[in-house]
Amino acid sequence: MKYTLKNVLVTGASTPVGERVIRRLIDDSRVDQILAVTSPKAPLTIPESDRLKAVPVDLRRERRVHSLLFGPAREMGVNVVVHTAMEPSASKEGSSVHAFNVQALRSIISLSERHPSVKRLVVRSAAEVYQFRNNLPVLISEEHELNMSRGAPQWVRDRVEADLTACTRMGLSPLQIVVLRMAEVVAPGTGSQMFDYLQSPVCFRPAGYDPMTNLMTLEDTAAALQRALHHDEQGVFNIPGADTLPLTACIRQWGRLGVPVPDGMLTPLYRVRARLTGREFRYGMNRRRFHYSGVLDGRRAAQVLGYIPSYPIAWPTA
Amino acid sequence: MPFPPSLARSLASFVLDDEQLSRLDELYFQDAGHGYDAFGMHPSFIALGQAIADPMYRRYFRVISTGHEHIPDVGPAIIASNHSGNVPLDGAMIWTDIIRKTNPPRVARAIADHFVPSLPWVGTLFARSGMVGGSRGNARTLIEAGEMLLIFPEGTPGIVKPFAKRYQLQKFRVGHTELAIRHGAPIVPVGVVGAEEQLPQLLVSRRLGKPLGVPELPIPAVPIPLPVRYRIYYGPPIPVHEDYTPDQADDPEVLKEAAGRVKAAVNDLIQRGLKERGGRIFA
Repeated sequence: MKYTLKNVLVTGASTPVGERVIRRLIDDSRVDQILAVTSPKAPLTIPESDRLKAVPVDLRRERRVHSLLFGPAREMGVNVVVHTAMEPSASKEGSSVHAFNVQALRSIISLSERHPSVKRLVVRSAAEVYQFRNNLPVLISEEHELNMSRGAPQWVRDRVEADLTACTRMGLSPLQIVVLRMAEVVAPGTGSQMFDYLQSPVCFRPAGYDPMTNLMTLEDTAAALQRALHHDEQGVFNIPGADTLPLTACIRQWGRLGVPVPDGMLTPLYRVRARLTGREFRYGMNRRRFHYSGVLDGRRAAQVLGYIPSYPIAWPTA
Repeated sequence: MPFPPSLARSLASFVLDDEQLSRLDELYFQDAGHGYDAFGMHPSFIALGQAIADPMYRRYFRVISTGHEHIPDVGPAIIASNHSGNVPLDGAMIWTDIIRKTNPPRVARAIADHFVPSLPWVGTLFARSGMVGGSRGNARTLIEAGEMLLIFPEGTPGIVKPFAKRYQLQKFRVGHTELAIRHGAPIVPVGVVGAEEQLPQLLVSRRLGKPLGVPELPIPAVPIPLPVRYRIYYGPPIPVHEDYTPDQADDPEVLKEAAGRVKAAVNDLIQRGLKERGGRIFA
């Protein structure tokens, strides 16, 4: 069977996820050219080559996105866009952050729909779009309730909105759209609340609760995005990681001391921590998943995309 | 739980002998990667749960059970029982009995009311022992995975009913029959005799239950459960999955009819138990 080589545009290329994707694509014989879209403030650390070109673009500005897609992307004949750019910091809020998280994707979709060569869009979404509650299933399918809580922080709201923005165009757009709702990546620079939580020698947790959680590595994230860009199917897919374990086991395996405290103390405790150390973990944002289990069901991704998590976390105490 | 599985197993070894512990190694269990299944069940905590329940099962409630041959060795199945006693000790005794009497041992995954996973410590201990919250998605996932579910079709109204209504089955919900018909699982009816008298109830308070996160809090007449003798009867499987086609699982009348059959079978087992027991509640 003849296979057409892909030319791929990757946004968020200077983030850990974007970089890992690009490294995999460089080694992928089915990919010809790669256009790496970086933040103007963070250049690409991978050296450019005849197959890899880096372009700094401020995705918040639609005109710049237009210039990107109908400039270098058209010249390169990009046929797949992999969108991984998302503000990682939970402390940054406001219209500028919303423009980056949501408007940028909206622009990419609408411009790609009339683009001469772009045929497929792969969006990196997150498990944080899902709601956690005692009366909801532990195993989270793609039809699981989304977190539309009034009190949800912008970090969550933006992710839900971006996810739905992509989903609403599925089937209506000439583009093939794939949304990958990924488990939390435990790595620095990814916006992982869990990674930040585990950075303290003592991890406070709600007394009496020990929910199951699912975590993933950068390598599995990149592998899933790579699989999705080569497939012809569109839809929403949960992408779980290889590690499914209780919160206390997570703390223990990271070499931390877990201390149970009454739930009411945790929000102020972590607020003080954030103020004093500049850390990103917000207990209020994670409260429900620190009470109720939630594990992504990856059966659809396994059946359709052939994705099976293969890279477990290298736990510090292992 | 705040302690590692190895400690749970060590604690269990104080009560269970080597043979009992090694039996549990053969447990049907789907490891999600770190020794736990996706719902949080862990074999070492099953052992701990068995160790905690063992003195109650053998010495306090002196459980007698019959009809284990009706419990399928493998594949999806639903154990449907009457529910009573104001605290769910009947569930704990059925759970213990099935693990002890099946070979290789099977864990009946108890489907609990929504509020149970919200309870601190209790919710976690139950989850480690195989219990799951009563959402449709949880039950479906487990039955699709070939697990055996323990369902109390009466729900909370069954367990908190007043002493005067003992052994009078409350309305059977139809969720278990829908699951069985749709996913091809037989329903094994179970009648429990003894639990109704363990903790006679004075009254039920919704107001007192609210701060504790439970819908209704029964106030018992005695401070601890009475040492009644438990009698557990397993009846022949009801093959609703053979009598109806999966698409009939959407027919409310079919579900009602099937639930009626299960209720009648459970009631027959209870009546048999009451007849055999006579007036000997504690003997």
